[in-house]
Amino acid sequence: MAEIDLLFTPVSVPIRDDTHAVVASQRAHRMAAQLGFSPVEQTSLSTAILEIARNIVKYAGSGEMVLVALQDEGRVGIAVLACDDGPGIADVDLALKDGFTTGRGLGLGLPGARRLMDDFDIASALGRGTTVIMEKWKRT
Amino acid sequence: MYFTNIQKLENLLLVAVPQDLMDDEVIQLRREVLQAIRQYGSQVVLLDFSRVDICDSFFGRFIYSTSKMVELMGAKVIIAGLQDIVIETMVELGMTLPDVDAVLDLDDALALTRSLSQNGGAPTEDSAEIETLTLEG
Repeated sequence: MAEIDLLFTPVSVPIRDDTHAVVASQRAHRMAAQLGFSPVEQTSLSTAILEIARNIVKYAGSGEMVLVALQDEGRVGIAVLACDDGPGIADVDLALKDGFTTGRGLGLGLPGARRLMDDFDIASALGRGTTVIMEKWKRT
Repeated sequence: MYFTNIQKLENLLLVAVPQDLMDDEVIQLRREVLQAIRQYGSQVVLLDFSRVDICDSFFGRFIYSTSKMVELMGAKVIIAGLQDIVIETMVELGMTLPDVDAVLDLDDALALTRSLSQNGGAPTEDSAEIETLTLEG
């Protein structure tokens, strides 16, 4: 990977209930606006973050989100790290399929967030938790 | 009873969906919608999304559950006021809302409500007559 500059100090948001999920989403929205993301890009990013953060509350109880503003060869983007030490996901591939849910949801959380972002990676281990790393880059 | 986010207009119930919807708020709002339908005899419930600028699948579940409950009271849920950007994101997210009609604005919602009322959905003179007959029988 090329050199990456941190544009701002990373923002860390503890996620313990859905109020925090909204805070994380709003922080990301503001950061994206400051970086000059288009309104649709801002909304896509904050919607994906809200999905993932609400997943943390629902399935793991609590976790953390870190938002990092990045610059790479003139492009600007935001990387999001979401992690929890909850029960983990038994079958990640299945959880990434549309319509799959073990909860009461619509089963859109993970696949939906992946579609809204430019890059999406997930790692999970049963009993140890789940980590999602995703990126959204400003269109030039 | 006074409802914070709900107003009545003819047979239409206007529900202002809060910008940031939380778990406990959903339960409270759904209950108020059902109470208001009973209180006003509303036929159509309009979920107004004009205040909402981030709409994740949690909102989708709220729309779905509300519409199913409202259906059981003999009324119907429609949605309106979705911002362009929100619509774009909802579709990208994969959110589809089968069984829920959308209208552009309040004018269209009211027109739809009036047409439903004319088509016999409303408590008309006819239904009052049936009620009387039943009582006599």
